Amino acid sequence: MADKNADVAALSFEKAIGELEQIVQKLERGDVALEESIGIYERGEALKKRCEMLLRDAEARVQKITLAADGTPKGVEPLDPS
Amino acid sequence: MTTLIVSHPKCLEHVTPPGHPERPDRLRIIERMLEHERFADLARELAPEAELSDIARAHPGNYIERIRQAIPLSGLVSIDADTTLSPGSWEASLRSAGGAILAVDEVMSGKVSNAFVYTRPPGHHAEAATAMGFCIFNNAAIAARHAQAVYGAERVAIMDFDVHHGNGTQDIFWSDESVMYTSTHEMPLYPGTGAIGETGDHDQIVNAPLSAGDGGAEFRDAMEIAILPRLRAFNPDLVIISAGFDAHQRDPLANINLTEADFGWATRKLMDIADQTAGGRVVSVLEGGYDLEGLGRSVAAHVMALMRG
Repeated sequence: MADKNADVAALSFEKAIGELEQIVQKLERGDVALEESIGIYERGEALKKRCEMLLRDAEARVQKITLAADGTPKGVEPLDPS
Repeated sequence: MTTLIVSHPKCLEHVTPPGHPERPDRLRIIERMLEHERFADLARELAPEAELSDIARAHPGNYIERIRQAIPLSGLVSIDADTTLSPGSWEASLRSAGGAILAVDEVMSGKVSNAFVYTRPPGHHAEAATAMGFCIFNNAAIAARHAQAVYGAERVAIMDFDVHHGNGTQDIFWSDESVMYTSTHEMPLYPGTGAIGETGDHDQIVNAPLSAGDGGAEFRDAMEIAILPRLRAFNPDLVIISAGFDAHQRDPLANINLTEADFGWATRKLMDIADQTAGGRVVSVLEGGYDLEGLGRSVAAHVMALMRG
């Protein structure tokens, strides 16, 4: 089965969370045909994974911010190459 | 490896009175969901009839006989305020227990990695010698004892996320240190049991009640704090899920607001424990879930998780 959610890997955080919120609302309203809800749920899971990954990356970057002696941020160290 | 699903059309012939929430359409909606192409890779088997000796591992012989003799030739008879028997109830009950036994056979022998059994009547309110709450034989308990008797499983863990407390399963294993019973459920609610202080003779019963209005956050906290660490420490050889989906926000019989994603999450957490201690062996049996759409979508999320999809 072709991965219908391959495009999710390229979405920005804002796009992914926005679409995820729409999916949650749709499922909560219950205005989706039952069979269609399977595909929508899967896309929701893919979007959630994408958001979690972007958040982890952002968190790793925040942890790399170094503070100067007076407590002000003085720069961002490059992330470890991976 | 494969996920197995088990059911039987004869389970539709356990008939309940008009308007009763535990109705044959529950299995029809699950069947419809699992016909989706997403589930094409599932192994599918028909639930056989359990032997009476299998059922006798959880219920005394005279109780089994009492049920058999109470089956009407036509119409319905009440055996409890909300539990009825119809002419088809005997075979449905045998296949409901038999489906859980077959799932244990296939999982314990390594033919499949895990299994979901969707049959009715459900089982977790059935005590050793009392039918109640839509339940006649305790399918999860029969499955646990079968795994121990036939496959030498030393420790079996049961996690019950049905919104009602599984008083029957707790009753059967109250003094059995080889089986851990854990449950999240709304309280106060039917059947009234399931307080935190009910811990069994060997501290191997773990109740984590939720309050009306609680949702995914409270449910996940209860799992993470009260239940999962205890299951992990118990080091089970098999994890059985009493999979009721009536904690879904759409369900008419309770007031917990879970979504299908919460059921998917809980399933994956229980699979993690099974991966760590039980070679991944998970057998899930259907309990409640009375909003057809909520039930269908929740089962889809549950089975997708079992398929590691």
